[in-house]
Amino acid sequence: MIHNNLSSQRKHSLGFVVFLGLLLILIAQLDFSLSITLGLGLAIGFTLQKSRFCFVSAFRDPILTGMTELSRAVIILLALSIIGFALVEWWFRAQQIFFKPYVFPLGVHTLVGGSLFGIGMVIAGGCVTGVLMRIGEGFAMQMVAFIGLLLGAFTGKQTQYIWKNFFGEWNSVFLPDFLGWFPTLALELALLFFLWKMLKWWQVRQLNK
Amino acid sequence: MRYTIEIWGEMCPIPLIKTQKKLKNMQIGDVLVLETEHSCTSRGIVVWAQQNKYEIVETEIANGIWHLELTKTHD
Repeated sequence: MIHNNLSSQRKHSLGFVVFLGLLLILIAQLDFSLSITLGLGLAIGFTLQKSRFCFVSAFRDPILTGMTELSRAVIILLALSIIGFALVEWWFRAQQIFFKPYVFPLGVHTLVGGSLFGIGMVIAGGCVTGVLMRIGEGFAMQMVAFIGLLLGAFTGKQTQYIWKNFFGEWNSVFLPDFLGWFPTLALELALLFFLWKMLKWWQVRQLNK
Repeated sequence: MRYTIEIWGEMCPIPLIKTQKKLKNMQIGDVLVLETEHSCTSRGIVVWAQQNKYEIVETEIANGIWHLELTKTHD
């Protein structure tokens, strides 16, 4: 027999919403932009929890279970962000506002760090957003993962210069500088579409096995 | 027959792999009942079951707790 306890939790949810509303108003008295940041953070967290989006699953499931639903969702997310950021950049240029895109140099340590993070997130069962979201949901194991996450992030940040000097870095590449805006956009979207098709094919193949 | 497997506190993909193993030993028409507090696990099993054309009913019985009933409709 299924016991539905959602309705009994409704008053707690309502109380929490009132508390958050008051907190937002309180912070807005001090600094309006801070309350907007908090509000946006809450909105993103809410969306993440309700959509049950999981980056780990997107990278792990195609190999482990053959499901590529979430991997394709990540590709759609990337495509949307690329278009969004292109629009933002275009608008900033039209308004003559200086806009510095986040372009970082790449080195061997970037690849090593990425692989380490990839292995860690599969074992811990969550990426950064996933871990935070599931702590909020009450999945206690992720609190241990969160401690590991903090330790790793701080040591990584503090020792970054050592790795930089040790491995060296290649110059950062900002594709629009070489190809121009529209060819870059077209190339990136075409690549993503190709990946999407590949993943679709992979899932059909795995299911028929 | 109704079966259950213990997957509390386990993260995906372990529950999904356990489900796949359990399903192999079940007869057609049997129901597998699962409860999890891991959001991604529940979603993963539902998507997997739908893709494999199994019958699945997912209910969020409390905030952050999901109850799944999976019927083995074919081999």
